[in-house]
Amino acid sequence: MATAFFELRGISKYFAKVIANQDVSFSIQRGEVLALLGENGAGKSTIMKILYGLYKADEGKLLKDGREIKIDSPKEAMELGISMIQQHFSLVPAHTVTDNIILGNVHGIIDHKLFREEIKRLAELYGFELNPDDFIRDLAVGVQQKVEILKALYQKTNLLIMDEPTAVLTPQEAENLMGFVRDFTAQGNSVIFITHKLKEVMSVADRIIVMRAGRVFGDIKRAETNELELSKLMIGRDLNWVTKEDRQESIDQEVRLEIQQVTLQEKTGVPALKDISLTLHKGEILGIAGVSGNGQQELCEIVCGAILPTKGKILLDGEDITERKIRARIDLGIGYVPADRSSDGMIMDMSIAENMLLKSSYAKKWQKRGFIDKQKLNQYTWQEIQDYSIKAPSPETIARGLSGGNQQKVVLAREVDNGEKVIVFDQPTRGLDLGAVNHVHQVILQERAKGKSVLLVSTELAEIFALSDRIAILYKGEIQGVFNSAELTTEKIGLLMAGFREREVKSDAG
Amino acid sequence: MQAKLRDLLITNILAIVLGIVASGLMLLFLGKNPVSAYSVLITSVVRDSYTFADIFVKATPLMFTALAFAFTYKANLYNIGAQGQFYIGAVIAAASSLWLQNILPGGLVLMITLLLTMVGGGLWGAFIGFVKARYNSNEFLVSMMSTYVALAIMNYLLRTFLIETKAEYPQTDALAASVWLPRIIPGTRLHIGFVLAVLACVGVWVLLYKTPLGYRIRAVGYNAGAAEMSGINAKKLYILAFFISGALAGAAGFTEVNGVQHMLVQGFNPDLGAAGIGIAILANGNPIGIIFAAILFGALKVGGTIMGQMSGIPSSIIELMQGFVMVFVILSYFVRTWLENNREKRKLQKAVAK
Repeated sequence: MATAFFELRGISKYFAKVIANQDVSFSIQRGEVLALLGENGAGKSTIMKILYGLYKADEGKLLKDGREIKIDSPKEAMELGISMIQQHFSLVPAHTVTDNIILGNVHGIIDHKLFREEIKRLAELYGFELNPDDFIRDLAVGVQQKVEILKALYQKTNLLIMDEPTAVLTPQEAENLMGFVRDFTAQGNSVIFITHKLKEVMSVADRIIVMRAGRVFGDIKRAETNELELSKLMIGRDLNWVTKEDRQESIDQEVRLEIQQVTLQEKTGVPALKDISLTLHKGEILGIAGVSGNGQQELCEIVCGAILPTKGKILLDGEDITERKIRARIDLGIGYVPADRSSDGMIMDMSIAENMLLKSSYAKKWQKRGFIDKQKLNQYTWQEIQDYSIKAPSPETIARGLSGGNQQKVVLAREVDNGEKVIVFDQPTRGLDLGAVNHVHQVILQERAKGKSVLLVSTELAEIFALSDRIAILYKGEIQGVFNSAELTTEKIGLLMAGFREREVKSDAG
Repeated sequence: MQAKLRDLLITNILAIVLGIVASGLMLLFLGKNPVSAYSVLITSVVRDSYTFADIFVKATPLMFTALAFAFTYKANLYNIGAQGQFYIGAVIAAASSLWLQNILPGGLVLMITLLLTMVGGGLWGAFIGFVKARYNSNEFLVSMMSTYVALAIMNYLLRTFLIETKAEYPQTDALAASVWLPRIIPGTRLHIGFVLAVLACVGVWVLLYKTPLGYRIRAVGYNAGAAEMSGINAKKLYILAFFISGALAGAAGFTEVNGVQHMLVQGFNPDLGAAGIGIAILANGNPIGIIFAAILFGALKVGGTIMGQMSGIPSSIIELMQGFVMVFVILSYFVRTWLENNREKRKLQKAVAK
C-alpha cells in the first residue's frame, strides 16, 4: 500500500470529565472515500475536529504523506488542503453565495465580477446548479450544502470531511451528493464522511472505520463486509448474558401502560416518533431494540412526561395521562433512568443524599417544619448505599467523585423507589463494567418480580435478549414489529434494526 | 474538595495581593512611596473608632448587593442589575419614610418601609426573571439595561414628586430622626442595618442549603436539564430567584437611605451593584463568605477616603485598587476552573493508563 495521504496515529482526547477519543489510529488514501461509522457520542465528530484543527489532541500524532504535521487551527488545516463541513453550516444567511465563498479568502478591494465568474465555472465543473448572486437565506438546505462544498473546492481542498451530510437532505439530494463524492474522489481527492446510516455507508464508502465509545472497533473494506457485521460492530457485541433461571415466565395479563398511536412531530417537521402503539403488562419487561438515535430517547421522554406527544394517547391503568407532566407522572409512580445520567439523571455537583432527593423535593416525607429533614434523608441514603453496594464513604459524598457504575446505582436506587408502577430504563448499562452491569440486570429482574412494568431501551442486543419478555424494534421512529423474545434471532433483529421490514427479513433470514 | 478549597484561598489571596501591588505601581508613577502610603492607610483606618466603624457602614449595602448577585448565581442566572434594584429600593425607602413619618410611630414606619423596599426591588427583579422564563430573553442584558431605567425613574421622581420643599436640588427633604435606623455604637455611623445585612447573609445561607426551595434553586443552577427531568419547574424558579435577588438589593436602598444618607440624593452610591458582583465572586457565591468579602471592600472604600486626604495622592487610587482587586478576583475564577479541569483531566489520563 502506498503511503497514506493522511494518517492519525494513537490520538487520544480527554475533555475535563470524559474520554472522547482513546488511541484512535487510521489512515486515508488518495482517491478514497472513508466512512466514519458510529453511534451518537462514539467520538466521530471529535476525532475529525482534531484533524481539522478545532480541537487539540492530548496524545498522538497526525501525518501527511508520512511526515508528521501539526494542525492547530482550521486555517492551518485548510492550508494543508483539509476542509470540513460541519453538521450545522457556517454560512452568513444575509450574504450572497459569492460573498460566502470568498469570505476569509480575500484582501483589499474585491473584484466581484472576477470572483463571480470563477465560482460559476467551479459550479459548472461539478454540475451544481447555483446562482452566485442568490442570498443564502433564500436557498434550500441541500443547496446551502452545495455552497459549503463549493467553498471547500474554492480553497483547493484535497480532503473533504463531511459531518452527517445527508441528515438534512431529501433522498434525491442525498443521491446527488453521492454522485459528487464519486466525481470528486475520481480526481484523486479524498472524502471522509461521518455517519450512522448503514445504507449510506454501503453505497458510497471504499473503507469503513467503525467507532464506539471513543475507540476504533473496525477498519474494514466495504467489499469485505455487510450491514449486519457493521451494525454488530457499531452496537458492540460485549455479550453479558444474564441467566433467566430465577425468573417466573408467567406474565400478568393485566395491562398497565398503553401507548396508543403516539406521534411526535419535531420542529423541523420530521416526525421523531411515528404512530407508535405499545402495551406494557404488569410484571413484564418490554425491550426496545434499535440503533441509537432512532427515537428511543423521545419514546422514553414521552412515557415519563418530559415531552408531550403531538398525537396519540398514553394510558396508565386505564387512566388517560397524556396531558400530565413530569411531576404528576412521578407522583403516579413512573420512574425513569435516562441514558445520559450526567445531563438528565443526576446533579454531579451535589451529594448522593441530595441526588436521592431530586425527584421528591416537593414530598412532605423529606421535610420537617419547612426545612429538609437531613437526618432522615441521610439515613435513607445510607441504607440505599448499602442495599445497592454503592462504593461511597458517606451520603454526603459528591456524586461526581463516584465511578460511572456507582453513579448509575444511585440513579437506579432512586428510580426504583420512585417508579412504583412503571420504570423506564434507557441504556441502563452503557459504559459500565461487568460487575455493575450484572447488578443493574439483577435489579431490573427483581423489580419485574415485584410486579412492576419495565420499559427497557437498549442498543446492547444481549441485554435485550437476556431480560425482555417481549421485544419491539424501533427504526426511524417507527415500530418495526413486536415479538416474543423466543421468536427472534440476533440476525433477524439486526436486519430489523437496519430498517428492513418484517416481510423482507422473513425471506432473507427466516 | 480539599484541592478546591486550597485553590479558592490561594487564588483569592493572590488576587488581592496583586491588586494592591498593581495599584502600588500607580503610586510609584506619581513618585510616591507605596509602602509608606499603605502604612499610613492602615494606621489611620484603625486610629479612631469612627473611621473603623465606617468600614462596616460601607460593608452593609455591599452585602445586600453581593447577596443579590450570589443568589441568582446559584441558579446559574446572572443578575447584574442589583444597582437598579437598589435604586428602586432607595426611592421607595425615601418616599415611604417621608410619607409615613408624620403619621405612624418611627419603628413601625421602618418596618413597613423595609417591607416595601424589598417588595419593590423584588418585583423590579422578578420582571427580569419573568421575561427570561416567558420569552427566553437574556437575563444578563435585561438586568443590565433595567438599571438605567431604574436610574431614569429615580432622576425623574427626584425632579418632580420627591424633590425637596425648596425645589432647588434634585434631592428629597431630610427624613425625620424618628425614621432613622438606630445606631449600634454611639459616636459612630454604624447603624442596625449592618446587623440586618449579616442576618440576611445567614438567612440566605439557610434558605439555599436547608430548605427544599433552596435545594431546587441550586439543582436548577447546577443542571437545569436534570432538574426539569425531575419535575422541577425551572422557569418558575427563575422568576422566584430574581424576586428574592431583587428584594435583597432593594433592602440595600433601605439601609442606605434610612441608615446613612437620611435623604435621597441623585446618583448616590453608583458602584454598589458592580462592587457587589466582585464581592460575590470573591466569596465564590457563599453567603457567609460574602460577610467577610464585603468587609474587605468596605475597608478599601474607607481607605480610599483617607488616602484622598494625604497630600499628593489622588483618592481615585483606591478605586483603582478596588478595580484591580476585582479584575484579579474575576480572573482567578477562570484560573480556578482551568486548574480544576486540568486536575480532572490528569485523573482521567491516569485512570486510562492503569
